[in-house]
Amino acid sequence: MSILSSTYDCGPFCDEMYSAAGTIRPHYRRLAERLETLPEADFQQRRAAIDLAFLRRGVTFTVYNDSEGTERIFPFDLIPRIIPASEWKRLEAGLVQRITALNLFLHDLYHQQKILKDKVVPAAQVLSARHFRREFMNFSVPRDIYVHICGTDLIRDDAGRYLVLEDNLRCPSGVSYMIENRAAMRRAFPNLFQSYGVRPIEGYADALLKSLRYITPRPGDKPSVVLLTPGVYNSAYFEHTFLARQMGIPIVEGRDLVVRDSHVFMRTTAGLVPVDVIYRRIDDDFIDPSVFRPDSVLGVPGLVGAYRAGNVALANAIGTGVADDKVIYAYVPKIIKYYLDQEPLLPNVNTYLASEPADRKFILENIAKLVVKSANEAGGYGMLIGPAATAAECADFRAKVAAQPRNFIAQDPIMLSRSPTWCDGQLEGRHIDLRPYILAGEKTVVTPGGLTRVALRKGSLVVNSSQGGGSKDTWVLKGDL
Amino acid sequence: MRLRLRHRTTFVYAGHARDSFNEVRLCPREHELQSCRRFSLRTDPDAPTQDYIDFHGNTTHTFSIAEPHAELMVEAESEVDTVPNADRPPPPTGAALVPLGAAEREEQAEFLVASHYVPLAEELERESRVALASGRTSAWADFLKIGRHVRHTMAYKPEATSVSTLATGALRLRAGVCQDFAHVMIGLCRLAGIPTRYVSGYFLNLSRQPGEIDASHAWVEGYMPLVGWTAYDPTHDRLADERYIQVAVGRDYGDIRPVGGTYRGAATRELRVEVEVREVDALTARQA
Amino acid sequence: MARSGRPPPARTQATVMLSRVAYSLYWMSRQIERAENMSRLLDVNLQFLLDFQGFDDAGLKEHWGSILASAGDEALFATVHETADSRTVTDFLAFDLRNPRSILSCVFAARENARMIRDQISTEMWETMNEMYLFLKDRSATDIWIAGPYDFFQHIKRHSHLFQGLTDATYPRSEGWEFIQFGKWIERADQTTRILDVKYHILLPQAADVGGAVDTAQWQAVLRSASASEAYHRFYVQEILPWKVAEFLIFSDSFPRSLHCCVLQVDELLRRIVGETSARARTEAAKAARRLMTDLASLTIAEVLERGLHEFLLDVQLALERIGDEVVKTTMFYSSEFDPEEQQQQQQQQ
Repeated sequence: MSILSSTYDCGPFCDEMYSAAGTIRPHYRRLAERLETLPEADFQQRRAAIDLAFLRRGVTFTVYNDSEGTERIFPFDLIPRIIPASEWKRLEAGLVQRITALNLFLHDLYHQQKILKDKVVPAAQVLSARHFRREFMNFSVPRDIYVHICGTDLIRDDAGRYLVLEDNLRCPSGVSYMIENRAAMRRAFPNLFQSYGVRPIEGYADALLKSLRYITPRPGDKPSVVLLTPGVYNSAYFEHTFLARQMGIPIVEGRDLVVRDSHVFMRTTAGLVPVDVIYRRIDDDFIDPSVFRPDSVLGVPGLVGAYRAGNVALANAIGTGVADDKVIYAYVPKIIKYYLDQEPLLPNVNTYLASEPADRKFILENIAKLVVKSANEAGGYGMLIGPAATAAECADFRAKVAAQPRNFIAQDPIMLSRSPTWCDGQLEGRHIDLRPYILAGEKTVVTPGGLTRVALRKGSLVVNSSQGGGSKDTWVLKGDL
Repeated sequence: MRLRLRHRTTFVYAGHARDSFNEVRLCPREHELQSCRRFSLRTDPDAPTQDYIDFHGNTTHTFSIAEPHAELMVEAESEVDTVPNADRPPPPTGAALVPLGAAEREEQAEFLVASHYVPLAEELERESRVALASGRTSAWADFLKIGRHVRHTMAYKPEATSVSTLATGALRLRAGVCQDFAHVMIGLCRLAGIPTRYVSGYFLNLSRQPGEIDASHAWVEGYMPLVGWTAYDPTHDRLADERYIQVAVGRDYGDIRPVGGTYRGAATRELRVEVEVREVDALTARQA
Repeated sequence: MARSGRPPPARTQATVMLSRVAYSLYWMSRQIERAENMSRLLDVNLQFLLDFQGFDDAGLKEHWGSILASAGDEALFATVHETADSRTVTDFLAFDLRNPRSILSCVFAARENARMIRDQISTEMWETMNEMYLFLKDRSATDIWIAGPYDFFQHIKRHSHLFQGLTDATYPRSEGWEFIQFGKWIERADQTTRILDVKYHILLPQAADVGGAVDTAQWQAVLRSASASEAYHRFYVQEILPWKVAEFLIFSDSFPRSLHCCVLQVDELLRRIVGETSARARTEAAKAARRLMTDLASLTIAEVLERGLHEFLLDVQLALERIGDEVVKTTMFYSSEFDPEEQQQQQQQQ
């Protein structure tokens, strides 16, 4: 009995594998053929093997909803998400365009602020953004690159169009799952892999290291690069150690670094070793207690001073959070136009800004039909999905929006595309998104594919790991089939 | 007026401190109403300093001391020329009758919204309405009205608040020091739509008694239509005149911290601040 | 910033060892070794008392008092318990978290250190450590005492042997390995001195008791606490002669727990850690180790007994402490005054 069922229901959504007519899309045919001949027991066995492997390898994340963090495996679904080459080409171009524009935007914001003077983006929005770092004004950063690593979330609407949901420019995570998922799929379906011609993603760590080395302030061929982590208690700690090991660089905590004479050093058994580049997975707020939050014990006192003196490079730079603010997101198409004189290749989701009076009125009147998001919360918290919410929840959000309009945006609910996912014994459609990873260095490189996140709960649109999400492997094909 | 300033801060630790990283904003600003003739900063233990201009245009010095030390002394000395009162522009009564333009409001947006020490909470909003209960007139008149309201409804009490007290806390206590008077006034002005910012600095206390110490001072500046930033001291209910020296401006105390930093080691056992503001008369000046 | 007299190690940046990691590896290793030794010590002495029902109260008190004294915790014990008997001493040395050297404290601390450097150790090592921790966490001292302390001590010993075995099998032979081994051997040496020292604290027996059943049994217990009983009888002498037991545990060059063997390892690892390549010791730690080695290689038991066994053992403990401190000071914290417990403070003008 194969797992492919004739009763698969696409619903009104765009389905990744099945077309509207119910036929299998050309680039999924090979997969369908394989699944057709695969007995269900066999399929289950491969699933179980992967789950066990993840458990043993500790491919986990920590959820901090309760007082004690609990470690969970990020659930993995065996059915891959497949993207043909021509489709990917368009996405890639759009992502490169976007990060190029955002880097120019950040440079401008922290220097001349021309875009504000030309009134393309209201100054008030930028200055009141939580992550606009005044301390960083007029800083020069190596190679003028602010965002070295970006994770942009993409979704598809019911017409199959790709839209940008949001950019993640501070400490985007999930790369380790992308790499682990690929390894798992290779083990589960080795022959299918071969026959399909899937573009490899294993080069991510090398590409990342290359872009980190590129920004060293110290001339020479062996820049000293480290990964700065908040430590074992951070939810993404597994990923930090994973990446550090893949790149062959030391993983350090704030207390392992010391600033002397505006230079950064590592405390090692061989004495103080200079550090040139820091891949930091600590938020700006906590990164230097002498400049930002003084109660932070995770950071390195004097780091910003060393950065200002040009003796160390940080990836991503300080202050990039202003550009992934959900309010600024709404202006990105204008930002692309302003710096590159181009139309955005990848459109935004239509967004209403509560800080604009006309939009605010619309939001308050139609809140039950909209998706409302808090401008600065990550992880899917602080969000209202109007059509799925109770009257009380809507009223609560209405009050919040009215009280602090600058902190909220709203969007029309998008009918996210779905992908066949193994749910309790059968394949059912579940909503997915895509997070490709973009590295900006000497060249801007987009890893083919990225992390496809899937909302495992029936009908749910929330894909985040901390709220019941899982993931799939993403295959970008070398050709279109 | 020519004024000489000396500001010495000494931290005494209950033990030792090491790996100390500090930022100071003690250098008087340069603008149409004052000019800084000289400025020097020294520390003990001795440390090389670097400086940069921060977001608000304040000259900020940084220094670090790695080795263990039992005390840290930071001393700034400067000489400043302030434009005499006779030569200063009069208060903006006339021009300020026009309302603040949208462009200006946009430009000064950050001084119209909440900041760390000045959350624009309900109690401040109520107080703002009370202060302007007799009706709105011009920006300048409203600004002064709020200032006087603060002066008359708050008591100057050094022990009532601490350096971390917010505007809401000070309002509740109806007491505080110049920092709190400034924060409360800023809150009320912002809620009334007047962009207002915090100013740190010093003033020459002509009625100083022998033995009375000078101190750092805080006041505010309101942005008046067509005229720009105009200073007012709510603690003394007067305009900032030639006796006042401006050191730093910002949204609130958090942006202008005169001396601050982090270090590893024992807690601070004692903090001494000595400020001296003296007028330099022409005779002495020529000899200097 | 290389230290004087020491050639910079030719390591690539990726194999550089953070001071904090070295510190955790060192202490994780010491604490597991400490827990294991304490288990054995308590286990053997409880057995001994079972075998020897003929002790009166004074005798028991003296016996347990000697264990406490050699463990070095007499003062702290006195603040927690009034009398020293099987129950109170076992409780204090095994379960009391107020005692930083208790088995529980050691295992908890070892696990915490392992957790801090989780990415450095193999999954099996971590899982074993975690199991030990979970086993202890779920039990109360009373439960174990009632259920039977023997099983408890066996469990600890087995797990620490498993941990050390896994380390041996899975930990790469690198700088980290050197710190782990260094911690193990220095702790083992220290524990051997304490095991030997137990007998000292029992008042010199009356003339009639020397060589008597109690005396002999107590020396037998000393041997068993060091797992040396079989080795002693097979490779040394048949009878239990006090000075022969001391000689065996101090000077034997074949028995792995002897002071001589332990310090040999300590010296070797030390030289690798601080990078001593010349024949003449340069660093303070190496000098101290060299002096200790010389003593152990050249003194005779007669000379030791003449000086006084207890005094000798105390000297060795001090030397080991100095060596340990020096290594920590020079490789893990470059400033002698650095204190990992030091707080970060903020300061600002009011």
